[in-house]
Amino acid sequence: MLRKSTVGKFREILGGNNCWDSPEDVICYSYDAAYEEPVPPDIVVKPGNYDQIGKIIGLCAEENIPLVIRGAGTNLSGGTVPLSGGCVLLTTGLNRIIEFNTEDLYAVVQAGVITAELALEAEKHGLFYPPDPASMKVSTIGGNVAENAGGLRGLKYGVTKDYLMGVRFYDVEGNLVIGGGKTVKQATGFNLPGLMVSSEGLLGVMVEFILRVIPKPESSKSLMVVYSDIIRACETVAEIIASRIFPATLEILDNFTIKAVREAVKTEFPTDADALLLIEIDGHPEVVNEEFDRILKICNSFNGVVRVANSESERDKVWEARRMALSSLSRLRPTVILEDATVPRSKVPAMMKAIQEISAKHDITIGTFGHAGDGNLHPTIITDKRDRDEMGRVKKGIDEIFHAALKLDGTLTGEHGIGFLKAGYLEGELGAGTINFMKKLKQGVDSKNILNPHKMNL
Amino acid sequence: MAGIIDELRELEDSIIRCMKCGTCQAVCPLYRKDLVEPSVARGKIALIESVYEGRLEKAGDILKHLEYCVLCGRCRQNCPSDVKTDEIFLKARAVLKKIKKMPGWQKGLLGFVMDHPEQVTKLLPFIHVCLRIGSRRVGDDVLRPLMPLMSERNVVSVKKEPFVRKYKGLNYAENERMRVLYYPGCSVNYVYTNWGKAVVETLKYFGVSVYVPEVVRCCGIPAATMGDIELYRKMVNLNFDYFAAIGTDYVITSCPTCEYGLKEMGGRETKRESPFRIVDILVFLDEVLKIDFTMPFDKKISLHLPCHYDCTHSDLPGRFLQRHFSSNYIPLENTDCCGFGGTFSLKYYRNSKEIALAKAVELRDKRIDTLFIACPGCAMHLTDAVVSAGCETGVLNPIEVLYEGIRKGSGHSSLHC
Repeated sequence: MLRKSTVGKFREILGGNNCWDSPEDVICYSYDAAYEEPVPPDIVVKPGNYDQIGKIIGLCAEENIPLVIRGAGTNLSGGTVPLSGGCVLLTTGLNRIIEFNTEDLYAVVQAGVITAELALEAEKHGLFYPPDPASMKVSTIGGNVAENAGGLRGLKYGVTKDYLMGVRFYDVEGNLVIGGGKTVKQATGFNLPGLMVSSEGLLGVMVEFILRVIPKPESSKSLMVVYSDIIRACETVAEIIASRIFPATLEILDNFTIKAVREAVKTEFPTDADALLLIEIDGHPEVVNEEFDRILKICNSFNGVVRVANSESERDKVWEARRMALSSLSRLRPTVILEDATVPRSKVPAMMKAIQEISAKHDITIGTFGHAGDGNLHPTIITDKRDRDEMGRVKKGIDEIFHAALKLDGTLTGEHGIGFLKAGYLEGELGAGTINFMKKLKQGVDSKNILNPHKMNL
Repeated sequence: MAGIIDELRELEDSIIRCMKCGTCQAVCPLYRKDLVEPSVARGKIALIESVYEGRLEKAGDILKHLEYCVLCGRCRQNCPSDVKTDEIFLKARAVLKKIKKMPGWQKGLLGFVMDHPEQVTKLLPFIHVCLRIGSRRVGDDVLRPLMPLMSERNVVSVKKEPFVRKYKGLNYAENERMRVLYYPGCSVNYVYTNWGKAVVETLKYFGVSVYVPEVVRCCGIPAATMGDIELYRKMVNLNFDYFAAIGTDYVITSCPTCEYGLKEMGGRETKRESPFRIVDILVFLDEVLKIDFTMPFDKKISLHLPCHYDCTHSDLPGRFLQRHFSSNYIPLENTDCCGFGGTFSLKYYRNSKEIALAKAVELRDKRIDTLFIACPGCAMHLTDAVVSAGCETGVLNPIEVLYEGIRKGSGHSSLHC
């Protein structure tokens, strides 16, 4: 609970309309899109300019109030849940695209700009902003940078960090910090954009970004490949990449997910298939055609049955089915736990096998789909959080999924971040030395631990 | 209090499906304006949950957030997990109204208006005259009241005589091939009386005799949105009994909200199956009568799709315009709700109007001559916004123009059965 006088100070900064402290308001900021227990903040603020942000940080630092930054709150690891209360600062009020430069190919945007809106703006100029997290219609750029969001195009186009040229943020003392800039090459000082990517709100309050945009590919082609054995599908993925072909997207759906999608959208999916690969290649028309032929041969050699989406509407159907994967699974049981353990792509077959074994061993239901092309699978556990016994088994299953990924030289998280749900596993991947370094870094820039405390166990 | 919490807990099985993904933010007209969580479905769901899970003590305090919702249904249509948000919110409102009771006068007035439609009819000349005297004319049939609290609104005039006074009973069609019942609803009966006339005359032209009730009982939706679900059920039952007594195969409507309240929601809430089909006039003309009628309408036209328009026919109004009117049809980029929401706009007028104005600005910029709307609520609200935005766009129901075409003989048609 904040003192009345403190609440008064917040109101003074923000005016009456953009500051909330009653229970029925703050409870709406006690959760994100993950499955953890909710914890409400003491106060929620929605600043409309940088000056207010500087003052809010100053007030929090002075009165030792934890400060948690939140965009759309679609994150999947508990990162925006205010574990020890305090102040939630919304970036949604800072939603301007400040500049879109079509000569030097960059955009300057505020933290609260919605990803899809930036992508649309790029498209209007015949350009392309590739990172496309599934939540892009609502997620904010600030959140995308804070979590290093990925999406379906990681294999060929990379993720948010590959598009971040510059960042402006306020440190815990309220100073404006400028990292990177508008030039392709820049070697001035520390690589602060690199540091702030996936910093999950622990190092500063990011307000503005300079993002790279690229020319839009001229043409594309989509195909769906049906397999009677999922391991063969995974081997196809490894072989496509070994043959030096980089599809724009290379997605896999397992049998359980296929059935769920078919049930939810009543689409004509081959439910007897053990797995589907959905592939899209793009680029110069001639290159697309040539790569397409080579992919056909590879798929055939692994007994995949190829169906080509010839028309625009067929193509839309294929990708609509992929987009429906998570939601179709979520309709089956009350609780959905979406993991994103990621392995080097050549290890995708081994990871897939491990997931199947874990599912059988603990008697838990896991539907797996995901970005096979970049090794980022989404084993999705469907369960009921009210069933304690089952949740115990789920917890063990999650542990083992992480261990399997690490054993295969993979990582805990490809695109969802650590938050606090995965904090306990961090040392297992990075080692004590790294944790110590991160702690010192955090203490150095935020000695009172005001910024998003407890996340990543810091 | 324990009873209230138990009643809210009955919603748990529907609520637990919400995985808090936040997809609803993309489509919620209020979230897109406010950018805060209590405005959007995910926030409201979390509030109900926190009451029955014991994390929020004062249950009554969440009602204001639950009532701050246009009930446009977009969150439900776009929910990946198929959470039935509109049903959840209406039920929760009804439960919480037991703690935060409607003021006595409001409940009394609501009950009186619904129970005594004939008395409301008697008041019409009085309302009509008051509105005329106490207002300034700002457009064809549009008035701006001079009262301080109402002075931002541009109101479509309330008519002296209800629609049913002239059309009650059976309106015979020459060459009768079918009989139907037309349920005009309150807005057509009191405000858009010319829509009612157009519906009846057009149906007659196509060989359909139309029975019009002597007294129009409210569909009950205003009671439901204000949390009085019992009164709502009572109205649905009264109307169903009446339709059944008349013995018709089709009940024609020209208000999608009445249609929704009687058909989809009415069936669900009263668990009654109707022996008649409740159907919008445009759907009836195109799919049952399959009319073949085209007429010139030399204007730049566009369409607003009402939220409650029969979701199995959401592409019909657009098709209707293109099939029957030869004109310059320009779809709108802004496909949002108009922001009206019936009782919502009474309580949150400024928020409601802000949403409508965004649409009016597009109409102005694109210089649209006529905006077609097949819903009296949306039509009233967007008329208000259009006048405020200083744009020349006229708001019409397609049936009005179709009837004009028939009357003037400007169209050509052939009849099919």
